[in-house]
Amino acid sequence: MIINVESPILEIHDLTVSYDQSPVLWNVDLSLPAGKLIGILGPNGAGKSTLIKAIMGLVPVTGGYVKIFDRELNDVRSRISYVPQRESVDWNFPASVLDVVMMGTYGKLGLFRRPGKKEKKIAMDCLEKVGMQSFVNRQISELSGGQQQRVFIARALAQEADLYLMDEPFAGVDMATETAIFQLLQEMAAAGKTVIVVHHDIHSAMNYFDWIIMLNLHLVASGPKAEVVTEELLRKTYGGKLNLLTKVTDIIRQKDFNPLKS
Amino acid sequence: MSFDQNAFLIILTASIISISCGLLGVFMMLRKMSMTGDAISHAVLPGIVIGFFVSGSQRGLEVIIGAGLLGILATLIINWLKNKAKVQLDASIGITFTLLFAVGIILINMLAYKVDLDQECVLYGEIAYLPIDLWITKAGFSMGPRITYLAVLNLVLVSIFIFLLYKELTLTSFDENFGLVIGLPAGAINLALMSMVSYTTVSSFEAVGAILVVALLVVPPATAFLWTKKLTSLIKLTCTLGIFIAIAGYYMAYLVDSSIAGMMVAVAGVVFLGSALVKSIKPNLLFGTSTSIEPLEN
Repeated sequence: MIINVESPILEIHDLTVSYDQSPVLWNVDLSLPAGKLIGILGPNGAGKSTLIKAIMGLVPVTGGYVKIFDRELNDVRSRISYVPQRESVDWNFPASVLDVVMMGTYGKLGLFRRPGKKEKKIAMDCLEKVGMQSFVNRQISELSGGQQQRVFIARALAQEADLYLMDEPFAGVDMATETAIFQLLQEMAAAGKTVIVVHHDIHSAMNYFDWIIMLNLHLVASGPKAEVVTEELLRKTYGGKLNLLTKVTDIIRQKDFNPLKS
Repeated sequence: MSFDQNAFLIILTASIISISCGLLGVFMMLRKMSMTGDAISHAVLPGIVIGFFVSGSQRGLEVIIGAGLLGILATLIINWLKNKAKVQLDASIGITFTLLFAVGIILINMLAYKVDLDQECVLYGEIAYLPIDLWITKAGFSMGPRITYLAVLNLVLVSIFIFLLYKELTLTSFDENFGLVIGLPAGAINLALMSMVSYTTVSSFEAVGAILVVALLVVPPATAFLWTKKLTSLIKLTCTLGIFIAIAGYYMAYLVDSSIAGMMVAVAGVVFLGSALVKSIKPNLLFGTSTSIEPLEN
């Protein structure tokens, strides 16, 4: 079930991506509304990260196109923000938390210009939003996994974009932090930003996302949570993983189930 | 010990070259490309020979351009082998620079009677001859050692390069994809850095040879990185180490009457091993965690 929207913020048309001849995404065709918190769900190897990277132009596309704000990617880079997977960089790099968050402002600064007071203030505000203000001068090599993740989210916030793409921002993050970050993302969506998150956990996905994309090489579903989270579509997405599916059916049965309240 | 002008000139030049190499070496190390620097320093040889042949002298601009082009070519071949032919990075580096270096050696031998250049000069250099290799103007004035001028020019250009692109170099070294996403020309910045490394190699090879250039690109930054996790202190410490290596290397060579370049590398190696030893025994010396970890509040 794929629900399309009028005047989408992101439009993906017939997108196919292959690595070494073997396609990892087939004919993905969807459109997304603005001001929503959107989750991309799917099993390992379903092409979730690849979809994000294809949107950001980081992997070559075999077919189809992506339009953001009804424009080409290169025209709207300053309005898009990206949180890569934490493991994609070497955290032993000699930089402080503030240095990394300031990198978020570099896109708007342009070549040769140095960040100044204004950029520093943006970075400090963003660190405060993710609760990392007391780590400003800490070297990034001394952070825990969850703290690294928060630094990356703060860096994305510092881009002051309208569309945020986050590749598994909750990997290795504890429950309290996950809840706090989800609340932050919900506030951002309420303020009109669009946030797209690659996510693993179906439980929390049910709680927080407004719109869900289900992916397993093909696009299985894209639409408002209430309409697309059905047993049939989840089965199609996750295949015959029965153990998991029993859990999923449980969740569906108790729609107001909230693991955080118990 | 009285003031020895020759010793001063040699140490000054060696220090300047060490600083240029160290500045570039810091970013090469952070990009995990130290071995690419090694490859470039050897791969520029055919460019030097061709430039030499075209211009008829080792002072020609053609030599630097030739070497710069070969350095970029080497980088492109390495990247191509890695990304398109799926050869492992270390293997593609090994293949590329040995091939280009071999071409250079063949060219030197073929053009031996036309080119005043030999492998030994390229590999080892001889900084001790620096005070007698003078830059003499057309009017016949002696302006001082030619290589010192080359080294100063090189340091000025390297410093300008790093000063202008500091932010971009840092960002693309840390997270290249993020650089691409926010629209930085990451590929061009990478090639520019490689060109600077090629140019520095050529500018320095007469004095210190291709092997010492590699040592200066790799060892001081690696040593400094053992002691600090802050980029600005990393750069400062690398430069300080470069100067120390030049001074200690010169006087040690003077004492045992041996190669200055060789002794500089040896000193650098000993300093590195000593630092690694100290850090392995006391890992938290000089830097450590400063603030305690607090949970995120809602």
